[in-house]
Amino acid sequence: MPRWWNQLQSVAYSRLRWLPEWYARTRASRSEDVPLPPLADLRVPLADAQVAIVTAGGVHLANQTPFDMQDAEGDASFRIIPGDVGVHDLRITHDYYDHSAADRDVNCVFPIERLRELVVAGEVGAVGPRHVGMMGHLLGAQAATLARDIAPAVADIFQADDVDLVLATPG
Amino acid sequence: MGLVARAIERAGIPTVTLSVVRSMTDALPAPRNVFVRFRLGQVLGEPGHVDQQQAVLRDTLHAVDRIAQTGAVIDLPYRWKRDTYPLSVGVTSGATAQQGGRT
Repeated sequence: MPRWWNQLQSVAYSRLRWLPEWYARTRASRSEDVPLPPLADLRVPLADAQVAIVTAGGVHLANQTPFDMQDAEGDASFRIIPGDVGVHDLRITHDYYDHSAADRDVNCVFPIERLRELVVAGEVGAVGPRHVGMMGHLLGAQAATLARDIAPAVADIFQADDVDLVLATPG
Repeated sequence: MGLVARAIERAGIPTVTLSVVRSMTDALPAPRNVFVRFRLGQVLGEPGHVDQQQAVLRDTLHAVDRIAQTGAVIDLPYRWKRDTYPLSVGVTSGATAQQGGRT
């Protein structure tokens, strides 16, 4: 499909709440390649916890390679976003949802400034040093790559940073 | 996001996953799911609506203590553009303050 067609559809999918619900019921992957694990414990109270964000909203730094919009199966790769990033240095590349609102305020899908505010207020311990931008809407080989290679690699990043809690957001 | 959250949780780090498409969450649940009836692309709320975004973020993070069974879903009570929110906290950024929350 040409990009303009995907972008046009994305507006309808974002405005009409029943449309993505219908799509997910009829078409969504039910892959069990990564089984549902038991819950991990939060080791410290939220007020002491270091929190990181992983988003499927196609968020990346302006100077990073954008996600590949030419592959109909999507782009399973990820981009590292530093915790002290300025929101004006972020961009969104994702043709499968309407990100016009998030282009104006990235916190709509990647709430980095809201997280900083909760840290200042003492409700959250700290903002993690590294966050991760990805895109959803993966199919076929790209979905398999996500399950096999990418998802564990993202987990490794948060583990290396000693993150206590991860927030995952869609686009 | 379900697969990625599962891998992170499997590595021993707790996760909370926000969703605006219930049937997608039902098809491939993350370990802890928080559902809010907002739009794709505005999953924390409207642009510049600091109070709303903070409320959704706060409630989503606190789900780590509220969900006791893997794959379970918590529903947030907020309705798109119809609710008021507690006063925001700690707004220090000039740009954010100018966008303003509806308080």
